[in-house]
Parts: sequence; structure tokens; C-alpha cells
Amino acid sequence: MSATLTQVADLSDRSIIGDARLTSVSRSAYAIGVVALAVAFLVAWKQQDAHAFAMSWLQNAIFILTLALGAFFFTLLQHITGAGWAIAVRRVAEAQAANLQWIGLLFLVPMFWLVATDRDWAGHGHGLALVWPWADLAHLSAEAPAEGAIVTAKSAFLNPTFFMIRACVYFAFWALAAGWFFRTSRAQDHSGDEGLSKKMRFAAAPALILFALTSTFAAFDWIMSLSPAWFSTMFGIYFFAGLCASGFSAIAIACLRLQARGYLRGVITSEHYQDLGKMIWAFGIVFWAYIAFSQYMLIWYGNLPEETVWFVARQVGDWSAVSVALILGHFIFPFLFFVSRWTKRWRTTLLVGALWMLAFAWIDIYWLVMPVVPHDIATFTTYDQLALAYEHTSTGLSNPVNYLLLAGFVSLFIGSTAGRLSSGAVLCRRDPRLEESLRFENI
Amino acid sequence: MTTHAHPYGIMAEFETPAQIMEAAKKVSAAGYRFWDCHTPFAVHGLDKAMGIKRTILPVLVFGAGATGATLGIFLQAFTNASSVSIWALVWVTGYPFLISGKPLMSVPSWIPVIFELTILLAALSAAGLMLLLNGLPRLSHPLLSNNRFRRASDDRFFVVIEARDPKFLRSKTEAFLKSLGAKHIEVVENR
Repeated sequence: MSATLTQVADLSDRSIIGDARLTSVSRSAYAIGVVALAVAFLVAWKQQDAHAFAMSWLQNAIFILTLALGAFFFTLLQHITGAGWAIAVRRVAEAQAANLQWIGLLFLVPMFWLVATDRDWAGHGHGLALVWPWADLAHLSAEAPAEGAIVTAKSAFLNPTFFMIRACVYFAFWALAAGWFFRTSRAQDHSGDEGLSKKMRFAAAPALILFALTSTFAAFDWIMSLSPAWFSTMFGIYFFAGLCASGFSAIAIACLRLQARGYLRGVITSEHYQDLGKMIWAFGIVFWAYIAFSQYMLIWYGNLPEETVWFVARQVGDWSAVSVALILGHFIFPFLFFVSRWTKRWRTTLLVGALWMLAFAWIDIYWLVMPVVPHDIATFTTYDQLALAYEHTSTGLSNPVNYLLLAGFVSLFIGSTAGRLSSGAVLCRRDPRLEESLRFENI
Repeated sequence: MTTHAHPYGIMAEFETPAQIMEAAKKVSAAGYRFWDCHTPFAVHGLDKAMGIKRTILPVLVFGAGATGATLGIFLQAFTNASSVSIWALVWVTGYPFLISGKPLMSVPSWIPVIFELTILLAALSAAGLMLLLNGLPRLSHPLLSNNRFRRASDDRFFVVIEARDPKFLRSKTEAFLKSLGAKHIEVVENR
């Protein structure tokens, strides 16, 4: 019907089948990743700060986890809503989500090692307590008795054994589900079986429920329990909003880069980019701000010391600048930037905006993971005293290990995604609704 | 009885979306300005074929949202954190009021009201201005008195060129529409 298709979709093999162009991207990314990680280890070895290294490792591992989880959620969402437009970009999201098959190793290997040796890599420490203070209750209770008492009451949930079991369950589900959706979609490339579309839609419903539970509890376990006495019931949804920002932005960037390499010519159009931009805007920018503010306001208004400490730790010293930067850089600026139709449709502006969102999603996770609630916080009678005492609190953002690990993990992520895409079609080429997606237009 | 002294315009009837798409391109290319297409369902790409400019509604809605936000800030600053008197039909005075020990100028607690006013004004203006920009509400339209035009909501596609168009010349416009392959051509009365 639409006789005005300005660009005709190129469905030739060169355009939609992964080949040497992607293999070479994959190889160079792996090479860069290995070098970056090696340098990161060397620098960390020189610094001899096991805690800082472990925290940076956790933060960067969570960052690339959000890239994969965001894409996983995107895939499930398109299946369950039966969205026609997204077929053109879904394979990219599926391939990105399938990284969940190995990202678990970045968590589980160091965790098991810490548990098994009860030592960190430099030969000192107390197992998981290198990162999560609740893992060493005796030490925590000695240092901060009040906090220790609260955390002891939580020990039925926050204990190393259950913690490790949960981590294994989350990753088992993510790896199996993301792998299954990728393989099933690829199987459809060969068989063209419409039944597979129905099967994936059917599976998407329970998968979404499990995704909500696992991502929420993962955020509780790995991030919220860094300040074990503190809690926020909406922490999981805050993590979810953040992973939409980074995951969807990464999908948009991957599509743009694939097209720059001559793939998917005319298949992904400004119409699809506009919708990707809308999703970044709606989930990653507006919804994120909505949740971030809701969490902040309830705690700020209630003004209970055991709740406010978490935010206080994020507004003393250099952290206050990071907090303000998040409001501006994760919400105000990108809100105004992406509110326009055109910035989402033009490739250059979309690329710039998506990279910007990735940067701030990383800072957001840094802001979640790194600050430490001062143990002597209860000894201050006013906020001003506390702010003065901690006015030189450093964010640690100048530590090169952060960026070396980031480069290493992201390179592995790119290498693995490109490698996976190179082994078959980069488009759900025989999805029954591909035609609908190719003709998609925003009204 | 019927005089065609002041017709509303000329209506051409087509049978398929593809035909009207072609016709729309040609009418647009011929330089007509006051004309429209009527279809039983949304025909994708027709706007582009007709050469219709994008609506300015989004810009207006953004303005309305920004107004709502500003209003929210001033409303709360005035009522809750100042003792200024202003005249708004009657004299009203701000009433500085401390709530749960928060500062008077307490921005976090204002945000829900700012947010709601932003949404309220943006949503109302989106709906209201959409109607206004479409020339609605309008109680009657010459086309609606035409019996053939009823099929615009069923299975026919119409191009209507209005008589007020500077390029409108009855004989010429009729011939032009005929040349587009219209199934039926009819002058629509202005009543």
C-alpha cells in the first residue's frame, strides 16, 4: 500500500548475513579487551588496593550486565506485545542479550574464589566481605554495633551461602532464557516456521515475570546490600530503569554501527531509529527520573536517619557534584535533547545521544556502587558538621582501573556480540512480520 | 433549482488507496492549496504524497508543558513561601507555612505539583489545540450533505478541491480530476 517507500530494503546476503566484516570487528574487540584487562590487572597490582579493584570490577561488571539485561528485556517486550516494527532490530537485541551466557562468569568466578579462599587476590580480606560488608558480621558489629545489629537480623537472607545460590539462579535463568530466545529466533531463519513466533511470544510472558524478579533481587543482592543496613523497596525498579537506559542505547548504537559497515541497508530506517529513541527517552530518561525522584522524595520527606544515610553518603564531598551531574546528565539534558522527533531520526544525533546515555548510565551505577556510608554518621548532631567532616570525600573517579576495566569488559561485550552476529543472519529474515516492520512508518 | 453559482468544490471519487495516492501526488504537483483527501482508513504515506507540512502541535504542547512547570513553581513559591499580596480578582496573600521542618523554599516537595501541572496543561492543550488546529468543533460541512460522500467512511476514496483555491477553475479542475482516473466527479454544493 505504501507506495512511497523512499528507501528500498536490501535483503541480499551482503546486507543481512554476518560475514568477515563482523568477524574482524570481533577479533579486534577481543584483542583490545584482553590488552585492557591485562593492563588493568597490572595497574591494580601496583596499587595494591584489593577493595578498590573489587569494587571497580563489580561496578563495571554490573554495567555490561545492564547492557545485556536491557536488550533481554527489549526482546521479551517485543515478543509479548507482538510489536511489528521491532522485527528489523530484534536480532541485534537478541544477540546482545545472549551475552548473558558468559557475563555471569564475571560475577560468579570472583565470588566463588573469594568464598573458597576466604581471601582476596592480594592475600588478605575476609571472603565476600571484601565487597559486601554483611559477609563478615563479626567485623561489621565490632566497627558499627548499631548497623551490625540490623544486619544480623537480616542474616537469614544475607548470608554467603544463600547469596551464592541466588546469584547462580539469576545467571542460570538469564543464560538459559537469553540463549533460548536467540537460538529459537535463529532457527526461524532456516525454517521460517511461524509456530516459533508463537512459541517465543508464549514464553515471553513467564520470562518477563522471572526477569522482573531476578533483576530486582540481583539489584538488592549486589548493589543495595553494599550498604546492608539500608533498604529501599523501589531499588529494583530504579535498577530496571537504569538498565533500560543503557541497554536500549546500546541497541541503537549497535544498529547504527552495523549499518555503517554496510549491513541492514534500507532495512532499519529513521522510523525504527525514532522508535528506539522513544524507548530510550521513555524508559531510560523519563521513567528513570520518575523513579529516582520518587525514591529520593520518600526518604527525604520521611527524614528517618537510617534511611537518609544512603543519600547523605552521596552528597558529601565530591559525591555531591556526581549527584547533581546525574540529575542534569541523566535527565534534564537528554530529556530536552531527545524530546524532538528529529534528534531521534537523524543518525548522528541519535548516536551522540545514545553514547551520552551510556556514559551517564555508567556514572549512575558508579554512584550506586561506590559511595560508602560513614560508620560514624550517628555521632554527628547536624548535617553541616557531617558535611564538613567529610568534605574531602573522593569519588575515586580518577582511578584508571575504572576505565581499564570498562574498556576491557565493553570490548569483550562487543567482541562476543559481533562474533555471534557473524555466524548467521543479522536480521530475523523469515519472521512472518518482517514485511510489516520494513514498511513501518510513524504517523 | 440547483445553481452552481458558488459551489463548495469538486469531489473526485477513487476506488483504491493506490489510486488516491497517485492522485494526491498529482494534485499537489499541480499547485492546488485548498484541497483534501478523505479515506475510510489511514493510508500510510498519504500525508507525504499530499505534501502536507508537519503540524506545529508538538511545539505548542511543549510550550504548554513548560508553562505548567513555571506555574507550578510560582504557585507554590507564592502560596507557601512568601507573604506577598497580589491582586487576582481579589487580593490574595501568600502564607508562609513550615511543614515537617522543611525549608520554606523546599524544591523536592514542590516537584509533584510541578509535575502534575506540567502534565495537566500539556495534555489538555494537546487535546484542545488538536481540535482547534483541525478547525473543530464545527457543526456542519458541505461534504456531509452529499450522499455519495457517505462512502468515504466505507469503501471509497475522495479528493476534494475547494472552490476558494486560487487555481480553481470549474471546467479546468473538473477536467484535471477526470484525467487522474476518477471513477466519478461531482460538484459539491455550498449549503
